[in-house]
Amino acid sequence: MLAVENLRVVYHDVISVLNGISLNLEEGELLVIIGANGAGKTTLLRAVSGMIDFYDGDIIEGDIKLRGSSIRGMDTVGIMKHHGLTYVMEDRPVFWYLTIEENLGAAAFSRWSGNVKADMEKAYQYFPPLRGLARKKAGYASGGEQQMLAIAMALMTQPRILLLDEPSLGLAPLITEELFAIIKRLNESGISVMLVEQNASAALEIGTKGYVMELGRIVLEGKADELAANKDVREFYLGSGEKARKSYRDAKRYKRRKRWL
Amino acid sequence: MSDLFQALGSGLLVGLVYSLLGLCIVIVYKASEAFNFAVGEFMVTGSFLFYIIFFDLHFPFLLAFPLGLAAAAAAGALIETVTIRPLIGRSPIAMTIITLGLAFFIRACLQLIFGSHSYSFFLELPDISIDAGELLFLSDPLWAGILALLTFCLVMFFLFRTRWGLAVRATSENQAKAMAFGINAKMILLIVWAASSACIAVAGIMISNFGALSTMSSIVGLRAIPVVLIGGMDSIGGALAGGIIVGICESLVGAYIEPMGLTGSKEVAPYILLLAVVLIRPYGLFGTVRIERV
Amino acid sequence: MNRKLLVGLSLILSISLLALTPVSAKDIKVLSQFPMSGPVGALPEFGWGYIDGMNWVNGEGGGVNGKKITWFLEDFRYDPTVEVANFNKYCAELSRDEFLLATGYITGGLKPLADKVNKEEKIPWLDGSYSTEMFGPEGGPSKYPYYYSLGATYGDQLKILLKWIKENHKAKGKARVGMIYSPTAWGKDGLPEALAYAKKIGIDVVAQIEYPYSATDATNECMQLRKAKAQYVIYHGYSGASGCTAIFFKTAKKVLKDVQLMGTHYTTNRMSILVCQEAYNGYIGVATRPFLDAVPRSKSPMDNPMTKLAHEFAQKYRPEEYKRGVKDKDSIKDMFLYLEGLTYALIIQKVLTDADNSGDLSREGVKKALDNLVWDYKGMFGGKKFSYKSHTIPMMQIFKAEVKMVKMGETMVPTGSVNPITDWINSDETKW
Repeated sequence: MLAVENLRVVYHDVISVLNGISLNLEEGELLVIIGANGAGKTTLLRAVSGMIDFYDGDIIEGDIKLRGSSIRGMDTVGIMKHHGLTYVMEDRPVFWYLTIEENLGAAAFSRWSGNVKADMEKAYQYFPPLRGLARKKAGYASGGEQQMLAIAMALMTQPRILLLDEPSLGLAPLITEELFAIIKRLNESGISVMLVEQNASAALEIGTKGYVMELGRIVLEGKADELAANKDVREFYLGSGEKARKSYRDAKRYKRRKRWL
Repeated sequence: MSDLFQALGSGLLVGLVYSLLGLCIVIVYKASEAFNFAVGEFMVTGSFLFYIIFFDLHFPFLLAFPLGLAAAAAAGALIETVTIRPLIGRSPIAMTIITLGLAFFIRACLQLIFGSHSYSFFLELPDISIDAGELLFLSDPLWAGILALLTFCLVMFFLFRTRWGLAVRATSENQAKAMAFGINAKMILLIVWAASSACIAVAGIMISNFGALSTMSSIVGLRAIPVVLIGGMDSIGGALAGGIIVGICESLVGAYIEPMGLTGSKEVAPYILLLAVVLIRPYGLFGTVRIERV
Repeated sequence: MNRKLLVGLSLILSISLLALTPVSAKDIKVLSQFPMSGPVGALPEFGWGYIDGMNWVNGEGGGVNGKKITWFLEDFRYDPTVEVANFNKYCAELSRDEFLLATGYITGGLKPLADKVNKEEKIPWLDGSYSTEMFGPEGGPSKYPYYYSLGATYGDQLKILLKWIKENHKAKGKARVGMIYSPTAWGKDGLPEALAYAKKIGIDVVAQIEYPYSATDATNECMQLRKAKAQYVIYHGYSGASGCTAIFFKTAKKVLKDVQLMGTHYTTNRMSILVCQEAYNGYIGVATRPFLDAVPRSKSPMDNPMTKLAHEFAQKYRPEEYKRGVKDKDSIKDMFLYLEGLTYALIIQKVLTDADNSGDLSREGVKKALDNLVWDYKGMFGGKKFSYKSHTIPMMQIFKAEVKMVKMGETMVPTGSVNPITDWINSDETKW
């Protein structure tokens, strides 16, 4: 459904962030991408959603295809309208000075259709706590509520593909769990999801397939449960290596990375 | 006592026009974070476009007025496309400085096309003067106040009661977020600049009707600066309050302080007031209280 | 750059210039400066009148007894610093023997140049300034021997209006006069003299209100005048400011219904008819020139020889600009400006010729010619001749505006003119 082929992205014409990345998202999958800070995960999502121009980045090589047609050069609104791809940015991208209801309304703007109310109702069913806060300014909602709102807003765009950028960032474990359960339900309802996470264990638990990114490249891929069982992944991302580290030298990641490449 | 009411009343009427100018700066500031210093030139441009349609092409007023505003909106949209759009996502300071340059550029163009002499400007609106002996409000300022207030309300309705207004408000808060949720930020900015240009034209036409129209009229745009700074750069209510405050302040100073021999203080008074307000509340009287999360 | 090289270059340049300059034939050079563009308004008509006048002088006009005048024209954009800089430039470039006369147009330039012109260069300087400070009792020939004005001072203009009020006041009690003036050098000029004179002849000045160029509204000013029960309002100091004049007149016509609106030279003009329209009807103002430029222009009376000449010049040399409507920026909107430029050219020819006839074609000679000048200015002032002893052309006339709206096509357009209601008044000879 979504295919990224050998993608290279450069910011400000000099800073190379994605160095030839390829991945596939099949219909109905819940794809998890894990990786350290600076690995290029957010850039990948920006490139796929067409936001990269806004951040002064350029795709200098490779292609992104949605159902076989290239979306290079399309803007975010076009990608959303034609391919039903919605990108939920990191750090709870809600409009602080609008009420929660207005936030949902604003997100429905691109559709031009009348059944906004029905969609809003659906969003409230997924996220019941939002219903009670409908008239509250989003900026005053809690972190978890804001993240729920962000995903609810994404639902208002009627997505077929949802890109989620670190939805668990800064949330309490219990809320994260709740949130991931909803993401799983959304996936089961037919929305393909690409989930970028630092919270690898929770993400791999709900995911179907996983990629590990390092410095703008895919270094590992596999089924989610296989990845979760991988020794290196466990050591670096799940925080549960076989034993305590033997020495500081072994802990240096770049040494191990060399072996991967 | 009637003097006081007279001063307050005429201050209020002019103040409403200033409010409209302030509003136009505020919505542009909120949407693109640029302070539009070219507001005076936008005003004169809009007024001249109306002038051509009404006085030269002899369209009836009820047709010429909306046509003039549409022309002004088109001019605003054109200016936005050429100068502001390439800067989307860049520093707001760059846009602000572009508007400063625009001010000079537009003024020079207008002088080239229209020269710098005055053009007579008589709208011949129905006479609605209020003459109650000591109290006198002339027809032209009354119309100006009414139309400015109407336009203000129309903008408010657009912003707070329509889907498009909601999209504008969302984009004003954050262009990236708006784009990610499928709001075409570029189109929204275009709409904002066009709407602001049309509203500035309303103010311009009303002010021209007080006297005459010339490229010199653009100095009125300077009045909008204390208006928005007093009211708060990002507050729509603040623009209304700021405009009325500046109008009344000018009027009261003109009526009470100038006759005491302090001639010229009318011109300075809004700026002194501005200084006082900014010292006490740096964000202006109604500047947005930032939502701080702990 | 290398300093030696610079010195060398300038030496070579000056030597070559010296070599090129013929020693025998002395040129006659004059410099004129007008505010033809700038923030207050574009007034290219000054330059047009001057250029046409000078071309005529050097051609058909016969020059200075056959000698041609080399003239320089500068636009100083209403900026005194530009006026001063231009003058300094020409002083440095031209030799004293040849550069005989300079003209300027605003008070702002007269003040910084006072010492340079009157003490250093000692060059006769004709100016359009009506400054009472420079040309009134406080200044004048004793203080600024080389400055000459081409009009009566604002002080005299205000006084003649007050005198007219005194003579024509019919209602009971003292006449009540309100003053509206611009917060500028020229707006404040002449006020002290006028106030003292009003006191002397028994007129109450009931209000003095500053009304700025940048005004958007005149309701307060007019209400103050109404409260003060002013019967006459003198509007003074609004050169080139038809915009704020329109605001004031439009408001005053409604607020001050039975008040006689009056004004000084720069409000008594054709532009006011066009911009203020009906609100200007009935206005009484003093002016130092015969305008006789009606709206439409074809109805202008032509009984004044100088005005007739100006109209003929404009029709001959600027037929397009003369015909074009007021909305075109390249049109002669107000014949006064054209007439003024032409007047400069004619005065320059006259005094240079006088100086040449007396055999002293130098700066001192030109000054003497100006001091001894008794001329009728080609009949400009009803054929009256007068001397230039106060260094002003002390002539004034009081005009009354008559404006009527007539239907032309679908729109109402103003027609009318400002017509003289007194004879020419010589302020030097008036019994104040």
